Amino acid sequence: MVEISFAFFDEDAKKEIRRAILKGIALPGYIVPFASREMPLARGWGTGGLQISLSIITEADTIKVIDQGCDASVNAVNIREFIVATTDVRATSTTGEASIIQTRHRVPETALTEEQVLVFQVPTPDVLTVVEPDTDKQKKMHAHLEYSKLWVLLYEDTASFGDSRIASRYPVEVNDHFIMDPSPIPRYDIPRLNDNPALMLFGAGREKRIYAIPPYTKVKPIVFDDRSFQMEDFTGKSCMRCGAENVFFDTLKKDGEVQYYCSDSDFCDQTLESRKSHAS
Amino acid sequence: MLLEIENLSKVYGKSCGQCIALTGDDMGTAICPVCGAVVAVNRINLRVEDNEVLGIVGESGSGKSTLLQLIYRDTKTTEGKMFFREMQGEDGEPVDIAGLNMMETVLMRNTMMAMIYQNPRLGLNFLFSGGGNIAEKVIAAGQRNYEDIRKSACYFFEKTDLPVSRIDQSPETFSGGQQQRIQIAKALAASPRLLLLDEPTTGLDVSVQAQILDMIRVLQKELSFSMIVVSHDLGVIRHLTDITVVMRNGSIVEQGLTDQVLEDPQHVYTQLLVSSVL
Ligand SMILES: Nc1ncnc2c1ncn2[C@@H]1O[C@H](COP(=O)(O)OP(=O)(O)O)[C@@H](O)[C@H]1O
Ligand SMILES: [Mg+2]
Ligand SMILES: [Zn+2]
Repeated sequence: MVEISFAFFDEDAKKEIRRAILKGIALPGYIVPFASREMPLARGWGTGGLQISLSIITEADTIKVIDQGCDASVNAVNIREFIVATTDVRATSTTGEASIIQTRHRVPETALTEEQVLVFQVPTPDVLTVVEPDTDKQKKMHAHLEYSKLWVLLYEDTASFGDSRIASRYPVEVNDHFIMDPSPIPRYDIPRLNDNPALMLFGAGREKRIYAIPPYTKVKPIVFDDRSFQMEDFTGKSCMRCGAENVFFDTLKKDGEVQYYCSDSDFCDQTLESRKSHAS
Repeated sequence: MLLEIENLSKVYGKSCGQCIALTGDDMGTAICPVCGAVVAVNRINLRVEDNEVLGIVGESGSGKSTLLQLIYRDTKTTEGKMFFREMQGEDGEPVDIAGLNMMETVLMRNTMMAMIYQNPRLGLNFLFSGGGNIAEKVIAAGQRNYEDIRKSACYFFEKTDLPVSRIDQSPETFSGGQQQRIQIAKALAASPRLLLLDEPTTGLDVSVQAQILDMIRVLQKELSFSMIVVSHDLGVIRHLTDITVVMRNGSIVEQGLTDQVLEDPQHVYTQLLVSSVL
């Protein structure tokens, strides 16, 4: 019988990925290529993040996996079950209890700590893809911090629409240097990347790329000097289920009316829980 | 002196090492008899003064476009030096721009030198709007204030007689003549000391050509920069330039004041060129 390694990969594979991660941490926002492995999981979404999670996880870790804020979505469940099956680590849906949180398209509402690592699943790692399809040229443009073309997009949107049309994947400047794709998180989550105590790692499986934001790094969205960064506006809205305000909401149309629900299912549960205990 | 070119050569293809010596106008060919490489530009010496307008004429394949591409750093120099006064080293002396790295080249193109191509697709980014093309230069020069960038884009649109109401449209939606105007507007946004123009009006209607040439002349006088204009059309050369340089087989065969060269050509080849048009 073939013995299955802890966390699926053999030690060499993990070392190779960890080397890419370390390089990424040393150069915040810099895109590091790595030899992406075949995963016994549906191709596409999640394998980049999963490979990061598997290469850094230890027996002492507690894992949480969310897809657009939700622990119960099929994607999140599949990934979490795979990690648990190959490591036997504890799984949780509670943000505060997790040491590794793998996420698709959200940053949790609950503030993260220095003890935690947030692993993002990334579909398109290079922010320059929209203005320059040639990957060799993209590399050179990053090397020379040649980002004028990204600013032209911002100029054009501002001229035609008064603001950038980018709803998610808003470009951010990391550590006053590289401009980076934050993965398709909403604008609402962009300020959370700044000065965050947690280590943030980004993995793109299909594109074989890893990059990182170390703890307490300056991260800011690209904005003209005479404009301010606009976020989704949920003023006066609250969660239909738990009553929470000032969080990122999913919207649901029901009988012609828009209903708001916490996008972060754990946060919603926590809020509901504390409401109940307060009431009793 | 703004630009001084010394012994500039360009060989296309693998050189046998003797190509440059075995070609040129005195050899009657630009193709190396030993290895067959094309010596598009052959040991050229040239000077451009401030506010001077230089014209380059010569038959197709004589190396005119290659010469401009060497100066603009679109293509690598094989041999020779180009001193451009605006690019200075730490000692304050002009550097040889043939040795610029990519970042220095970008800086030069964004703030000191610009090129107008015959084909607007080479000079413009068709994924961006007309105004976006101009904005790119302004942004590259360091501007990050939206209103200021917008004002600059509108300013250069007006300056080149383009309809500001259409500034947010793609170059695709503009006529050929207007696309050349957008290229010029974009070039001006780089506040160039030297403007390179490769057949800027070739292929356009004669009346449109005349309007654009007049505009270029007015802008050159008003904003005072130097120009090198490549054209096979002696009318364009006569209209725009102070000095005319005649090229054949990658070499300069004659140069002088435009009036003199066109009225009283010394070289047989120039005489042929002039008589076939006049
Ligand atoms: N990219 C290239 N590769 C190989 N040969 C080239 C290239 N560009 C130009 N040439 C050759 O160099 C010579 C000069 O071309 P060019 O500078 O375009 O002349 P002109 O603009 O005067 O017509 C021609 O023989 C041409 O075929
Ligand atoms: Mg040509
Ligand atoms: Zn809720």
